[in-house]
Amino acid sequence: MSEPGNAPLQAQEGEGAPVLSCVGLAKRFGQRSAVDGVGFEVSPGEIYGLLGPNGAGKTTTIKMICGLLDADAGSVRICGRPLAELSVRSLVGYVPQDIALYPDLSARENLAFLGRLYGLRGRLLDERIAEALELTELSDRGKDRVDAYSGGMRRRLNIAAGLLHHPVLLVLDEPTVGVDPQSRHAILERVRSFGASGMAVVYTTHYMEEADRVCDRVGIIDHGRLIAEGTKRELVEALGEKDRIDLVATGDLRALAAASRAVPGVERAAEADGRVHVVAGDGRSVLPALVEAVESSGVTLNSVEVAEADLESVFLHLTGTALRE
Amino acid sequence: MRVVLLIAAKDLRQRLRDRSAIVIGIVAPLVIAAVMSLAFGGVSNFHFTLGVVNADRGPIAAQLLGGLRQPELRGIITTEPVGSPAEAAAEVRSRRLQAAIVIPKGFSTSMTGTSPQSITTLTSVNNTLAGSITGSVVSSFSAQLNADRLSLATALGAGAPLDRLAALEAEASGLRIPERLVQRPVGARELKPISYYSPAMAIFFVLFVISFTSRSFFVDRDQGMIERMRAAPIRPLQILAGKALSVFVFGLASLGVVASVTTVAFGAYWGSPLAVGVLCVAVVLSVVCLTALVIGLARTQRQAEGIASAVVFGLALLGGNFVFVSSEPELLRRLSLFTPNGWAMRAFTDLSTRGGGLGTVLVPVGVIVAFSAGIGLVAAALARRAVTS
Repeated sequence: MSEPGNAPLQAQEGEGAPVLSCVGLAKRFGQRSAVDGVGFEVSPGEIYGLLGPNGAGKTTTIKMICGLLDADAGSVRICGRPLAELSVRSLVGYVPQDIALYPDLSARENLAFLGRLYGLRGRLLDERIAEALELTELSDRGKDRVDAYSGGMRRRLNIAAGLLHHPVLLVLDEPTVGVDPQSRHAILERVRSFGASGMAVVYTTHYMEEADRVCDRVGIIDHGRLIAEGTKRELVEALGEKDRIDLVATGDLRALAAASRAVPGVERAAEADGRVHVVAGDGRSVLPALVEAVESSGVTLNSVEVAEADLESVFLHLTGTALRE
Repeated sequence: MRVVLLIAAKDLRQRLRDRSAIVIGIVAPLVIAAVMSLAFGGVSNFHFTLGVVNADRGPIAAQLLGGLRQPELRGIITTEPVGSPAEAAAEVRSRRLQAAIVIPKGFSTSMTGTSPQSITTLTSVNNTLAGSITGSVVSSFSAQLNADRLSLATALGAGAPLDRLAALEAEASGLRIPERLVQRPVGARELKPISYYSPAMAIFFVLFVISFTSRSFFVDRDQGMIERMRAAPIRPLQILAGKALSVFVFGLASLGVVASVTTVAFGAYWGSPLAVGVLCVAVVLSVVCLTALVIGLARTQRQAEGIASAVVFGLALLGGNFVFVSSEPELLRRLSLFTPNGWAMRAFTDLSTRGGGLGTVLVPVGVIVAFSAGIGLVAAALARRAVTS
């Protein structure tokens, strides 16, 4: 893949200036506030993760960043230019959460159509299509209709379609939803390489481990508000000397979480993914009382894991809920 | 404009790959036009066998049979003697005979008496046209008989001698009612059913473009393609214009192919090519605007399908695409003036009967364009929201 940034429109500001700058973004749908005062910046080569549970406001935020939704308040600037300038959109590559491709057209036809929308044509378009197909390892299937592709292949092509015009900012909305582990691994590796090549990336996810693995910086969003932001290290350090205890159990985990919260020394406890996540100042000292809580709540404890604080602990600490609760 | 052409070309490519679009746009109007013109092909190819129960065998009955066998009716009616009324009824029921008449015994002599007898016609719901023709022939003969009786009675009342009764009878039977109905169409040509149903079906199936275009718009939207396009440096109106252009090209191609094939293969007469072309452009323009209106009004694919079906069948019923506008009740004829296809059907009928060029279609085209403009203004505002929401 060639270097990004050779889109038709170039940045106005000098190097080091943020590729993306959002300030005070807000959006309401009727009485419900979907996004409330979200602001962050993304630098060239940086992968910024927008982390939050479903319905937190991630998609609404990135739709405002891509100009698909008008913000009620706040502003978005791409390379220093306001998003209101139509040509600025050629600096942004958008990869929607759902597969947005024509199933009755071939991969090559889909890419040709989308590339032309961004002003690519002739030999340059052919080169970019070949590059995208190579990137997604679909070179030998380019003439096949998309509806003949597997889910993973479609997902990869969906990403490639957002890269055709070599954007300076790539916005990926939960690109690994419904993807098998192998394709997921490939996508995450690819996203890392985008950042390494100098492209700024906004990556939304509700998978903690993805944010942990891929993102340079993470913004935690909940109920439409950006409640914390920083590198993983910064966020964990802000949490202080905390331990995370995972109680893997079967039975009424909601009752177990409630019983765990009542244990002295436990700061937060929430159930998700067949386990109860507990944040405590000193994990080892609260462990006996937690085991008693397990017995009193009537669940069957399968295993106990004590780990250092991570983004999951940060999220739990900040919101009182597990990310996928 | 480049983006508009790009979107239109992509939509057309998808449409042409979809066989159902070809069936609806080209094949169906040709087949249905041919079937409709056969079904409503008038009496020119109509023929039936009429059973005759002649229990009278007198001179008046002979005159009636002579009338049924006259050269003008030979191509339509073949008479066949039947022994009894019961046998005739059975034959009509079994559909071997399409209708029958029963001339009662003493029918001829009763004409000069005071208690005349009646001719009975036996008809079947399976062939109402044969029944109607039989009824008309018998009624016409009865009217002539009554006129003869009246003239005879008038002569006798005026003092004609009774010994001249036979001569007067012969003279009266040679006279014919002077008033006759003569049909003379005001158009230069007779309106052949194929010339009516070719444009009627072509327009009807072009109206279906409203349905499948609005449905495909919502499929695109649900698949995220509209959003993906909007993320590119293009305006929402360019997306709409691209889709409108694809509807326009497909609709025009459909009308053009149906007009050419029905003219060459079925002998339909559409009218002067220039006038037909202008009229087709106006019709397709109204289809484009109606499509945008349906897209603007609907929120989901299912709603679009429902609204489009109501629009298509409502317009087709009111506009005369299924039956001749002229044979509709007065109210429907008036309502057809509120539909673009109703105006188009009037114009196509005028073109194929009166002939003429652009002048013949100027008013209908003006009305259709005005209709399209009105719908288009509302639709543009509504459909833009459908793209951006």
